[in-house]
Amino acid sequence: MQSTSTTSPVIRLADIEKVYQTRTIETVALSQVNLTINRGEFVSVMGPSGCGKSTLLSLMGLLDEPSSGTIEIDGRPVTSYSDKELAGLRNHKIGFVFQSYHLINDLSVLDNVEMPLLYRPSIGGSERRRRALEALDKVGLNARTKHFPAQLSGGQRQRVAIARALAGQPEIILADEPTGNLDSVMGEEIMELLLGLNREQGTTLVMVTHDEQQALKTQRLIRFFDGRQVA
Amino acid sequence: MLRHLFTLMWNRRRANALLIIEILLAFVVLFAVGTIGAGLWANYRQPLGFEYNQAWQVNLAFGSQPRAERFGTLQQVLGRLRALPGVQGVAVSAANTPFSFNDSQMSVEKTDAQGRVVHSAETVNIFNVGPELRQVMNLNMMAGRWFEPADVAPSAHGPIVIDERLREAFFPSNEQAVGKLLSFDKKQWRVVGVMQAYRADGELQDPVPAVVQPVFAADTTFLPDALLLRVAAGSGAALEKRLTDEIRRIGPGWSATVRTLPEMHASQVKTLLTKPVLLSVMSIFLLLNMALGLFGVLWLNISQRRAELGVRRALGATAGAISRLVVGETLVVTTFGLVLGLLIAVQFPLLGAFEVPAGVYLTAMGLAAVGLYGLAAVCALYPGRLAAGIRPAVALREE
Repeated sequence: MQSTSTTSPVIRLADIEKVYQTRTIETVALSQVNLTINRGEFVSVMGPSGCGKSTLLSLMGLLDEPSSGTIEIDGRPVTSYSDKELAGLRNHKIGFVFQSYHLINDLSVLDNVEMPLLYRPSIGGSERRRRALEALDKVGLNARTKHFPAQLSGGQRQRVAIARALAGQPEIILADEPTGNLDSVMGEEIMELLLGLNREQGTTLVMVTHDEQQALKTQRLIRFFDGRQVA
Repeated sequence: MLRHLFTLMWNRRRANALLIIEILLAFVVLFAVGTIGAGLWANYRQPLGFEYNQAWQVNLAFGSQPRAERFGTLQQVLGRLRALPGVQGVAVSAANTPFSFNDSQMSVEKTDAQGRVVHSAETVNIFNVGPELRQVMNLNMMAGRWFEPADVAPSAHGPIVIDERLREAFFPSNEQAVGKLLSFDKKQWRVVGVMQAYRADGELQDPVPAVVQPVFAADTTFLPDALLLRVAAGSGAALEKRLTDEIRRIGPGWSATVRTLPEMHASQVKTLLTKPVLLSVMSIFLLLNMALGLFGVLWLNISQRRAELGVRRALGATAGAISRLVVGETLVVTTFGLVLGLLIAVQFPLLGAFEVPAGVYLTAMGLAAVGLYGLAAVCALYPGRLAAGIRPAVALREE
């Protein structure tokens, strides 16, 4: 494992509990989670299916609210933030990479990568394009700007998804099994890309993975079991 | 964002093809109804050219009285009616009285000194009426004069009064109309005056140019179909009975029916509006169907796009932005349908179809466009709210 992070915390979860409740069943997804992610750190999260890894990522990414506990981003608790403020934080500070890419099939590669910038009214069309092209250049896909997702391989789609996450120049990237749908060669390529981002740009990365080998390449490995952090 | 919406919807045009066709058809319906409505409104806004609130019409039937005797009896009837208290004026008239749905139309021509036709109008309403018509219907003169007793004297060219609409057609650029000759009914007639457009067909029908040909008391060849009366304010059933009683008393075998012009006007309006109202009701049902279809498609669309909407939320879209996205996409699809519809609709004013003024078509296009956008926005509001309520974490997990 590498160690290049500074010690200033960028995400802090304190006494987090997440319970999904239906009329008949109460499911505890996370319990007593206390976790700090430092700026510039590359952390991997492992655990069996259903142990709460994705829920943890959703909470860190401000896509969901905890049932109890506090989430702090840059030292500020976000529990009282309005929808607009949370959306602003997600847009400016956090980039997402998903296992199934979640690209919009009816938009070109370039239009997909521009998407986070659409929600920043201060950025004009030409600047949006410039940043999207720059992000695509970083992932080595600047020759595919006019292609549509269906015309790309799985690895290329995941690169587009990473470029989309990068276009907004976020401090944090949350990756939910980014290599889960890829073969080992393509998985390695994506892993190298993420490691490069962390190493060269100091981007904070939290990655959920099932792959022990890849997890060992990150600076810290956190293990979950039945909604609890076990290591 | 607008460019993004257009790009997205353009790329999804095949998936949205049926929706676009549905919107196109809705536009056609709205355009048709709008054209009829705008045409009626444009007609309604133009002045009638006469006052009918205290005017009555008496329809005459001469029974079996020999024709030769009718004229003499008519003069007695007219004299008696004019003397009745409450009757302020009586004019004889052919059957084409206001709001009666009767027309007497001819083509009228204007020729130059060499006898060449310089203007012609195929359809002109010809009114054969007594000179008292001006007082009975409160007609406004725009130029020249109304008929006077001296007009009775025989002349090569009988006097006529034309209305403003015919003057505009035959004497453009403020050319003097009074004193000029017009031809119809195989004769030439001299224009002695111009009155305000006289729209006896009512305010909802397309205005038709008019010519008034006087029927003087000395004209023994003309037997009127009706009498037009101006009565005092507040006149009612008592005067009506008196009128019919007097006519029956003087004319052997004569009968008369009295109708007020306001009654005739109301009846005409009801008749003329029946078809447009029925068409509007049918189109409302069609539009309701279209709205339900659109609503259903949008609802289904939202449930199929939960992951995409979740990603947009993850990328920084607020709930409001998601709602606006759904409404915006619907308006863009509407624009595609609308553009196709406008391409069809614009042919009507360009080709001058149905002799409807271009302004009416343009108004109808505008109304149809506003109506469609309004309908689409209303249909998209609730699905938009549903989309805004999607919890991104849940939507992304479902995928």
